[in-house]
Amino acid sequence: MTGPGSIVPYTAVLGLRRQPTPDWIAQVRARFPVEPAIDEVFTRKLRKRVETPEHSMDSSGLPERLRAFLAAETGQPDLRVHDVQRLSGGASKEQFSFGLRWRPDGTGPAVTAPMMLRMDPSEAIVETHRRREWEVLRAMRGVVPVPRARWLDADGGALGRPALVADFLEGTVRPPGADQMSGVGMYFQPHLREALADQFVEILARIHAVDWSRCELPSFAVPEPGTTQAVDWALGLWERAWYEDTLDAHPIMARAALWLQENRPVVERPVVVHGDYRSGNFMYDEQLRINAIFDWELAYLGDHHDDLAWASLGLFAGPDEQGNRLASSLLTREEFLSRYERASGNPVDRDRLFYYQLFSYYKISVIAVATSLRVAHARRTHLDAMMNFASGIGYVGISELNRMLEQT
Amino acid sequence: MGPEFAQFLSGMRKTMEQVVLPNLSDRFAQEQAGIVAATLGFLEQVHDKVFHYELLENDRYKLLLGQVLEVLGTDGLGDEVVVAMDAVRAHRAADPPGSEVHLRPYHDLRASNETMKEQLCELIRLQPRLPDRVRKAFDELLRPFFHDLQLRERSWVKPLGFDASGADLPEIDELLYSGGRLRLSDGS
Repeated sequence: MTGPGSIVPYTAVLGLRRQPTPDWIAQVRARFPVEPAIDEVFTRKLRKRVETPEHSMDSSGLPERLRAFLAAETGQPDLRVHDVQRLSGGASKEQFSFGLRWRPDGTGPAVTAPMMLRMDPSEAIVETHRRREWEVLRAMRGVVPVPRARWLDADGGALGRPALVADFLEGTVRPPGADQMSGVGMYFQPHLREALADQFVEILARIHAVDWSRCELPSFAVPEPGTTQAVDWALGLWERAWYEDTLDAHPIMARAALWLQENRPVVERPVVVHGDYRSGNFMYDEQLRINAIFDWELAYLGDHHDDLAWASLGLFAGPDEQGNRLASSLLTREEFLSRYERASGNPVDRDRLFYYQLFSYYKISVIAVATSLRVAHARRTHLDAMMNFASGIGYVGISELNRMLEQT
Repeated sequence: MGPEFAQFLSGMRKTMEQVVLPNLSDRFAQEQAGIVAATLGFLEQVHDKVFHYELLENDRYKLLLGQVLEVLGTDGLGDEVVVAMDAVRAHRAADPPGSEVHLRPYHDLRASNETMKEQLCELIRLQPRLPDRVRKAFDELLRPFFHDLQLRERSWVKPLGFDASGADLPEIDELLYSGGRLRLSDGS
């Protein structure tokens, strides 16, 4: 192989990131506090980094593996899997649609249902836990519109890599004319904004109102209310992702991490934080009803300001007809915050919002400059070209981080 | 030697845009081929500036780290800070300011830069262990450095098309060159 993976690392630390030793992995785990489930997947990633060859785009064996997995899960050896097709989008996970001929209640007549497979690549731009995603999808069913999660291969024992299967829903994610990468600067026409904005806010309020203590979320660690534990874990996750993955040390990222550490706010009342709530991660039907909220893989129990900051981040903002930048391309940032306060009853604290905005820019910079480039460097993604290209978002993110740090 | 890189890249991009893309029917393949074409367009714009970009970074990190060593001084510093400063001094002995790093292979230049970045990051991480006065002075050095750094990076990735403020940014050529020469600190 003559790709970048064969080049001698520039520094010793870069060499350890490429070929992690057990001692180095232990040091990293001790340095960054994260939830146990997060530690599990991050540690697995580092251990696999030594072993896993480059990611293969050959999915020819997938239909049979999928059939065998579903037959075992349902107890229906005669079910059929057909038309397995790779889906576009899905930067973080490989996604396939397929048709499933089966008997949903186990005894009645067979029906054909459209399904979606969501599977880890060899190494993801966001290393997340399929079981957590599965748990939160099931917890949210009936509360907000989500795809119905049906089956889980948590450790990849059946499908080769961790994966979940959910119902496939029809709808629109990218409005007509939105050519940009999903969720980045998309444009919604006025009638779409009019129809979708309130739903977008109300659904977020409903997510934050969920009594998670009554939900089945065993993979989620519960932070102590009135402490910084929730943000300790969240920050630990993103600092660790940067430290494990970056190809290029960056002093603005180091300065931002220090500021985030030294200014951690207390989380009085932890809520379910979606973690990636923005345009591009919801879908609407022909009646302009939001019929699915996607990408729950970063969900955790934390501060509602985290979702508010992320959803209103300037980097994701799209324009209106006058060129004003809109939160998640739907409504002005102030409208978004005031409508959220009314819908949820949760106060918006401007200092906390500032903290989580800065944290949001840190996160997007980690994803676009560190983890995306790492998986492309190691050839462990299904989107090699896109992962390199997306670095353009990250350096804008770092620039915005610096702008915010200058205000502190 | 020919053809020049610009010609290679331009030819590949045109082929992608006018031959490959129109004949793809799979949406996933179309999306990825579109990104490949856009990446080739980006490379056309920056490929001839890569070495000078790194050379400028080499110059700026050497300048800053020299100033940081002066500001930190020698008094009242903890062991970790002393170790981090010793590492900076050792690297400065290996690749001192004014060295002929421009005559060395690209890998060596990039490795020197990465070493200095890691060293600066470590000193930033250790800022809480510095006396308040020293930490403040260190921060004062970082602010203009960070301003120039983020502007340079943002201008570099502007052709990738993600920056809503891209039209307001200077071209990367303006940041790299003055009077037709690289803006090295000893000559600018």
